[in-house]
Amino acid sequence: MIDFVQNTLDGVMIGSSYGLLALGFTLIFGVMRRLNLSYGPSIMIGAYLGTLVYVQLSAGPLVVVVMTVLGAVLAGLYVERLCFAPMGAGAGIASMVSSFAIWMQLEQAAILVLPRHTYPFPPLASADPLALGPFLLRVDHLVMLATAFALSAGIHLLLYRSRLGLALRAIIDNPTAAHLVGINVKTAVTLAFALASAVGGVAGYLVLAADQQVTPMFGMWATFKGLIAMMIGGLGSVPGAILGGIVLGIVEAHSQWYFGPHIRDLFAYTLLFACLVLRPGGLLGETPSREPALGRRGA
Amino acid sequence: MDDYVIGVLSNIGVISFIALSAYLLLLTGEISFGQQAFFAIGAYAAGIATALWGWPLAAALFWGAIISGLAAVLVGLPTLRLHGLYFAVATLAFAEMVRLLFEQFRYQVIIDGEPVGPNGTDGFRGIRYIFENDVGSLQFLGLIYALLVATLAAFMLLERSRLGVAFRMIGEDAVLAELNGLAVSRLKMLAAGLAGALAGLGGGLYAHLTTYLEPRIFDVMLGVHSLAYGLIGGLGTALGPLLGVLIDIGILESIRFFAGYRMIIFGGLVAVLLILRPRGLLDESAVHRIRRVWLRLLAGSPATKRLNRDLT
Amino acid sequence: MTRARLICALAAMASAICLPAGSALAQVRAKADVACRPAAATLQYDCTITLTNSRTNEPLTGMTLTVGADMPSMPMMHNVRPVRAVPGQAPGTYQAHLALEMHGDWTLRLDLSGPVRDRVLTTMRFDPDRVMPAAATKGPSHKR
Repeated sequence: MIDFVQNTLDGVMIGSSYGLLALGFTLIFGVMRRLNLSYGPSIMIGAYLGTLVYVQLSAGPLVVVVMTVLGAVLAGLYVERLCFAPMGAGAGIASMVSSFAIWMQLEQAAILVLPRHTYPFPPLASADPLALGPFLLRVDHLVMLATAFALSAGIHLLLYRSRLGLALRAIIDNPTAAHLVGINVKTAVTLAFALASAVGGVAGYLVLAADQQVTPMFGMWATFKGLIAMMIGGLGSVPGAILGGIVLGIVEAHSQWYFGPHIRDLFAYTLLFACLVLRPGGLLGETPSREPALGRRGA
Repeated sequence: MDDYVIGVLSNIGVISFIALSAYLLLLTGEISFGQQAFFAIGAYAAGIATALWGWPLAAALFWGAIISGLAAVLVGLPTLRLHGLYFAVATLAFAEMVRLLFEQFRYQVIIDGEPVGPNGTDGFRGIRYIFENDVGSLQFLGLIYALLVATLAAFMLLERSRLGVAFRMIGEDAVLAELNGLAVSRLKMLAAGLAGALAGLGGGLYAHLTTYLEPRIFDVMLGVHSLAYGLIGGLGTALGPLLGVLIDIGILESIRFFAGYRMIIFGGLVAVLLILRPRGLLDESAVHRIRRVWLRLLAGSPATKRLNRDLT
Repeated sequence: MTRARLICALAAMASAICLPAGSALAQVRAKADVACRPAAATLQYDCTITLTNSRTNEPLTGMTLTVGADMPSMPMMHNVRPVRAVPGQAPGTYQAHLALEMHGDWTLRLDLSGPVRDRVLTTMRFDPDRVMPAAATKGPSHKR
């Protein structure tokens, strides 16, 4: 019983960072109706920038965070300019494959600059784990959870209390109508990309600082986690992203405890597959009648 | 022909199978990131057949293709009714599930005092058919290309047949196709099964070419690459994916000077190419134009002129 | 009509491959130990390969050994030109100089084409400063 609760707690905390990754993903998907396969790698570029300043300049954690976010945003904008902005309405597949090509490009660029297999990252919190009754709570996980909630609350405020948020929600709802009422869709989309990358940068920092290392595998890992969490929670839904992340975190924590890391990944993908087959809209997302069209007549 | 060139050509041949597999599904308008799963199933099945059960190569390749085709249909049943993006992600999830399942898959038989067979993450060594039966690398290359040519011929037949037209109609607009009386879901299932079998055949060839399989090979990189080949080379004809493979492995070869920067250049090239031509180099309009030129050349030939005169 | 011809052609080819079945000579199976060190230039490595008969543990001398490499995570997409290995000092050892394209995990393909035809594969991780046998961690984990 204690194990069960402990695992659930761990799952919730790690899941919160998955939720942040999914949040960025879902923001991009919501406004563009396309999947950005370079999302993880662009965060990785930010992380590599962060580790560079950490290793070469012995920068403090705050500087590393800023550099990580900055790097992620720059990489995200590069991806947006190259893969998504120039594509017409019907080229959904092409922009997805293009983003994959840029994924390979970004990954190799990162490996060229920093060729080793692992680089250090400043720790998130160095205190001893807190004991809450029979349960142990790692302080860095708590920081993760707190940051995730703060950030998602911030995004929620942005979406519902600001003009940019209003514009984004309009675009998410119906890009053509948004254009017709005078919203500058292109600028708003670029801003959404930057915002999503920034959120991803923070999420990346949290995860990597908790592990105190970054490897070249991180790009693909982050893309997958964000993708799975986003699809479980529902495409285009901000609370769904967080919920999806937490569900994924809990499932992973339990399966890892009972079955080990390989089966844990198997469970994650089976969960995704089952979700898609049984409830494609995800837990909180759009219903399949408004399915995203990727073909030649895509929105 | 030295061994290196044979090796590169063999690789091109084998990858073409999985590229054509993704292309077949793209024709019906479905994006699949998961063809590498059927490649894997075909590879393991064919490898097990020759190495553990002692089957001849042809039977093993056939077995691999059949199993993959069946698996593709089974997966297609719940997933093909999903729309575009959801189907794509479902194929991705399925492919990763297959890869992770192969990491757990252990099936070993004692042959000549040594255990042979798939051993989870350690992989499946010792698919020694080409050594035990004295099949040279040139011979195997011949086999790969014979099968590839046969497949291309089949694709050419498909393009001219009602089935091929039906597939493209579904790819254009599935609702309209259904309204025109096509059994869309059954046809999509057929396409999925054929595509799976094709990928499985490629997998069987791969297993015997390299004599060694491990689950890590069949990851998402392979799947997205196979999709990319069709998109780069063009979706207008089955030669499109082959062109894509040639460009990729051909370019990867010719720019060896930039050894460490290959992906950067290639990735950039792909992105730019996709901006300019989202349906690839040999897309439908290019194929149409080439066909018109070809027909015009034919129309000028004396035989056609005589035929026209006789008919009027 | 063309379809029937197609099937016949396929069957003919298939039987051509079936025919030389089961001429299993008493194959010598090779076992290899590979040790690599980074060489002077980046992405270049000097490897020493020790070949032994896997059944009798005798060193295999006088083999024609070609070393090729492929990345397991991106199969068939790197075409590292195979190098001919030179016999080394001790019996059964061979030296090869590899020029790779990236750091990371590479599966070395040791092709024997001398008196005996065999192939041994071994996966190693090539880092800028050292080479070690690849660990069995798989899956999209972002940890090492």
